[in-house]
Amino acid sequence: MTELASWPLLSTLLALPVLGALATAVLRRAPWAQWLALGSAVLTLLCSLLIVVAFDGANAGFQLIDSASWIAGLKIGYLVGVDGLSLLFLPATALLFCGAVLAGWRVSATASPLPPGLYFALLLLLEAATLGVFCALDTILFFFCWELTVLPIYFLVSLWGIGGGRQAAAVRYFLVMLASGVPLLFGLLALAFGNAAAGSGALVFDLPTLLDSPLAERAQYTVFLLLLVGFAAKVPLVPLHTWLPALAMGAPAAVTALIVGLKLGAYGLIRLAIPLAPVAASDLHWLLAGLGTLAMLYGAVAALAHSNLRGVLAYASLSHVGLVVLALATFSASALQGAVLQLLNFSVAGGGGFLVLSFLQRRSGSTDIAQLGGVIRSMPLLSGFFLLFGLAGIGLPGTSGFPGELLIVVAALHSHTGAGLAALFGTVVGAAAFLAPFRHAFLGPLRNPDVAAAQDLLPRELALLLAPALLILGVGVYPLPILELLRPTAEAWVAALAGL
Amino acid sequence: MNEWYWTAQAGYPLLATLQWLPLAGALLLLIIRRARLAVAVGRLFAVAELLVAVDLYLRIDLSTRVLQFAERVDLLAYHAAADGISVLFILLTALLGVLLSCYGMARQQITPVHLLGVLLVIETSLMTMLTTMNLLWFAAASAVQLALVGYLLWRWASASEERLALSRFLQYQLFGWLLFVAGSVVLVWSHVDVVGSAAGRWSFDLFDLLATPQIGKYQSAAFYLLFYGLAIRTPLFPLHGWLPNSAGYGLIAVGPVLLLGVKVGIYGMARFLLPLTAEAVMIWQPYVVAFAMVGVFYAALLAFRQANLRRLMAFAVVSHTSLIVIGLFTLHPAGLQGALLLAVNFGLAITVMLMMIGYVYRRAGTTNLDRLGGLFDRVPFIAIAFLIGGLALLGMPGTPGFDAVHLVLEASIEAFGALPTIATALGNVAAAGFLLWAFQRAFLAPRPRDLPARRIARTGAMEYFVGGATLLVLLVAGFYPEPWLQLTDTATQALAAYFQHD
Repeated sequence: MTELASWPLLSTLLALPVLGALATAVLRRAPWAQWLALGSAVLTLLCSLLIVVAFDGANAGFQLIDSASWIAGLKIGYLVGVDGLSLLFLPATALLFCGAVLAGWRVSATASPLPPGLYFALLLLLEAATLGVFCALDTILFFFCWELTVLPIYFLVSLWGIGGGRQAAAVRYFLVMLASGVPLLFGLLALAFGNAAAGSGALVFDLPTLLDSPLAERAQYTVFLLLLVGFAAKVPLVPLHTWLPALAMGAPAAVTALIVGLKLGAYGLIRLAIPLAPVAASDLHWLLAGLGTLAMLYGAVAALAHSNLRGVLAYASLSHVGLVVLALATFSASALQGAVLQLLNFSVAGGGGFLVLSFLQRRSGSTDIAQLGGVIRSMPLLSGFFLLFGLAGIGLPGTSGFPGELLIVVAALHSHTGAGLAALFGTVVGAAAFLAPFRHAFLGPLRNPDVAAAQDLLPRELALLLAPALLILGVGVYPLPILELLRPTAEAWVAALAGL
Repeated sequence: MNEWYWTAQAGYPLLATLQWLPLAGALLLLIIRRARLAVAVGRLFAVAELLVAVDLYLRIDLSTRVLQFAERVDLLAYHAAADGISVLFILLTALLGVLLSCYGMARQQITPVHLLGVLLVIETSLMTMLTTMNLLWFAAASAVQLALVGYLLWRWASASEERLALSRFLQYQLFGWLLFVAGSVVLVWSHVDVVGSAAGRWSFDLFDLLATPQIGKYQSAAFYLLFYGLAIRTPLFPLHGWLPNSAGYGLIAVGPVLLLGVKVGIYGMARFLLPLTAEAVMIWQPYVVAFAMVGVFYAALLAFRQANLRRLMAFAVVSHTSLIVIGLFTLHPAGLQGALLLAVNFGLAITVMLMMIGYVYRRAGTTNLDRLGGLFDRVPFIAIAFLIGGLALLGMPGTPGFDAVHLVLEASIEAFGALPTIATALGNVAAAGFLLWAFQRAFLAPRPRDLPARRIARTGAMEYFVGGATLLVLLVAGFYPEPWLQLTDTATQALAAYFQHD
């Protein structure tokens, strides 16, 4: 095992999709580009699994650290590493991207005037940037990867999206992300300045050092609020969520799966905002809890009211992340474990759900609930998978959604009783928000001739959906290994907060 | 101030070579009759110039604050020397020279050979401005450069708007030039006055002026004259009136790139204005910065209202130049370094964007946003190059703009506090809004009916080269900025030392 851990695994993980993207971009022939993209995505997934194997579960600190000097003049380094909290996001991300590449198999062929490999190259670039966000241990490297995620999404949506509103949606997304990048960068700079004022006098950006040296209390409020605003737009929390519905409707299905499935904003709160400004965070716990509860209820109600299945899923994701933010406000180890589990669960379930919708869209030409009906008669397998992903989303026992939700709600009832009760209510509304559209769109009489004539899942698609489905059931029945993997780091995280 | 002579560092007078080589090339072009050969020779000279500039970069010693490669001819008051800052700008100028010599032109108002000749002479004047240590030489070279750009505008002027643009350009630039010369005279005169007429002699040399103590009474006057003279060139809000017109009409790329790509106004501020009038700079710093902050927003807002890609770019330049000036007037080592890197980054970014706009014009015959659209399908490379240029203007991570903006913001927080800095950064995001909007209108929106797809030629080999080379430099410098930071480090430290008396 030690030989494995001495190899720069994380750098390999980041390099693989970048190399894949470069190679894919220059290939002239579409089939080659597709296979190459799939190959790089699968290799990345294997590499991420290797990292899980090489990871020492008993150790709560950062592991597999790679470092190199990057911009020495500004004290910005290339520093990557993982701990228990970030570890599992790597395979989840890699899996999601494998699905996205497969789901985009035909997309690139239809938009003929563009270079065939461009779609896949952008996807792989997005994968590299996302993995970079999860591994970065230097705040500026984190910001760098964070901003790099925006550009591929902009192009993927505006060039391969659906409907007339896609370009406006892409621009809105880009601008919201860019504008939220400003407070984020300032938060990180304020952090470095605060740190310099408290200690050595030099600006430092590497996370382990910053975590070891607490900030002055006043500076913590500035840092925390700036970072909160920066991350809230990505999470998204309620007043800053306006980009999500338009983007979910306009983006190609696989990209929607990625945007909704990747929980970068919540990860940012866990990794940076709370541990770096612990006093401010625990003092402002009501703010986190309030924002979380608001997002959760709003998302559930909006999902109930939406007339398109993609919109329903997008708002459901809003509701889920709201629950996660509420979990963070409780500052308990079990809730944090639940939160990470919940994020991972929604990555898999939400991503799977959007893939199913992309298959449905391809067959029936629409995901509008009014246009569908009786889908289960012509496509029983597809409907079955959608039901499974939806049930995992609402946290039915036996699926991977259950343990996370349970841990969070119990902890929330304990520390924020009102918010906990609201969350409980929110899960009920969320269940209704899934089951009602499911009944209208999948059950009931056949209304659309396209739906009646459609073919059920192809073997290729079946194979693609099987992996997330098995994961959901497996983790749902036996979640202990994952919770154990999270426990040491979660306890250390909470202890660091409590110690101050 | 100390200097090392060129004999100590190189086998040949590097700085003189930099100035004479393009001039020799231009003279050679006058003799050669065959057009194709002449174009090849012109490009060869531009490449040779770049090689000499790289040689300069390799030979310069960055560990010392001493000015290097010094050359003097006392009879002509010729005095040239270089430090990290000038090398950075020289590299940029030489690179732009190569790119422009390969760029060509759309409307054949003059022959390509003629254009190359003018281009090389302009390059000479820029090199003189970047190497000279003498205020009058700087002013003289500046006059030559402006006159030549004016000449290009005049040759292109056919419609009345173009004549208007030309006269605006000449009025503004002549006025700015006179202000600069007047400022120099005031400065030198009061130096002579302070030292006493017996010992003092009229010298416009930077070294002589810095050797005598700072002048008291007339320093603010000198500062204002020099500052406004340079600000008109830069151009800085509210002195930018000439730019939108001359950018909107006349040449698309060659002239504007020569004016805006190499920000000699900024260079002049760093080289002459800041050290020579250090006390006045510290007095007037808040006012300059306040104006620049207004400028960031004002220009960003006006850019929103433009329907022409070229005018829009002009306002983008004004908006970003304000950001550079903010960095410069933090008077903090990081801010100065950031501002200079930002100037070079903007130069490159503006160049690639203007050249891509030129390519669009060659295909569509217009740069009016209403009549463009759907170009991405046909020329994705040009679109992406334009967008990356825009992102570099924005300071997106992965472009040199990020490191530079990062430095400026760091210094600005320290000098002016967080709130004005955040406001400025948001102004920068507003600038992003209009660039993105323009990109969408020109490249992604549905193609208008009078612009059929077959009229849009695919990207040509030379276009790939010009765009690709610029992008390569931008991206490499963005992902690995260490060499540029090192290049300017000691020089900006030396500059900042003038403002740290306390």
